[in-house]
Amino acid sequence: MIDGLLILLLFQFLGEVLIHLTGLPLPAPVVGMILLLFALMLGAPGMDKVSEAAGALIRHITLLIFPLGVGIVLQWHRYQDNALALAVSVVFGTLIALVLVTLLLKVLLRRSSHGSGGGDSHHG
Amino acid sequence: MAELMHTPLFGELLHTPLFGLLLTLASYRFAQWAYAKSNSLALFHPFIVAAIPVIIVLPLVGVPYEEYRDQTALISFLLGPATVALAWPLYRQLHTVRSVWRPLLITVVIGAALASGLAVGLAWWLGAPETVVGSLAPKSITTPIAIEVARVTNGDVSLAAGAVAITGIVGALAAGPVFRLLRVKDDRIRGFALGLVAHAIGTARAFEFSEKAGAFGGLALGLTGLLTALALPWIWPWVSSLMG
Repeated sequence: MIDGLLILLLFQFLGEVLIHLTGLPLPAPVVGMILLLFALMLGAPGMDKVSEAAGALIRHITLLIFPLGVGIVLQWHRYQDNALALAVSVVFGTLIALVLVTLLLKVLLRRSSHGSGGGDSHHG
Repeated sequence: MAELMHTPLFGELLHTPLFGLLLTLASYRFAQWAYAKSNSLALFHPFIVAAIPVIIVLPLVGVPYEEYRDQTALISFLLGPATVALAWPLYRQLHTVRSVWRPLLITVVIGAALASGLAVGLAWWLGAPETVVGSLAPKSITTPIAIEVARVTNGDVSLAAGAVAITGIVGALAAGPVFRLLRVKDDRIRGFALGLVAHAIGTARAFEFSEKAGAFGGLALGLTGLLTALALPWIWPWVSSLMG
């Protein structure tokens, strides 16, 4: 657990350093995530120790986030003027996106399974 | 009760992180219990249930939201390491989908743009200001990344967190009817679409279809979050100038 936390904090720190050095407009934890992904893919030793801490944090992501989320209700006066835009964007935007993405996958995956012909795939 | 709150001891304790952390953890524990009791009904998602005691108790004891947010800074800080942690499931799932990586990658690029573009377009069309539109832009990606992206797009952290959660719940609720209507039985499609549009909450719903759907959901969640976080900060200044 401690090893895992150490790895996660170290990579977040590396992300922070990289952003300060390069001026990239990216969130530091995202850069840390990419660096960790590379380290894992390159098979850096000891990296699998991250699994326990990573699993715990991801499993309880709701705990980490809802203290920020309650602000939407407790500070509703700041948002109420845009209630309609918010509701339409979140509800209909999500529904339309779900339908379109599903249709897109249907088309693309059907084509790809034709391409591989059910037997040996030729990397297409 | 009200008198107890105003004794010197309680009056002081209310204004320490101990109060905020205790309230937060207890609310979360209660929400987990309620979610399990409801057989993981999307409407009873811990995000919604856990918020209720906090929303009731804070005004009751007279602790302003800003103070509560400071009290729970320790918890919010962990969103950073949690984002880094997403590399682990992403790494694990990269191996399971080697054979179909190309159509999936195309879908992520188009789908992430659609999910974000629809949210931005609809909100802007209805006259929302940039803080609101900027909070909605990352609404389809997993919360820790969305929060970080919302900071870059001049969004509001609370609004972004709420929009992400409600997006996940809408996606999870709509999944059954949408897949029935479009006659989708392929668990790769169900999982990937849910993870792409509705992040972690959608992925949890995908696991109810099958293990395979869940793995595809997890992969979609990771890739969409990554792509959106990489692309939006570069695109946003341009979108922002379009909105005038």
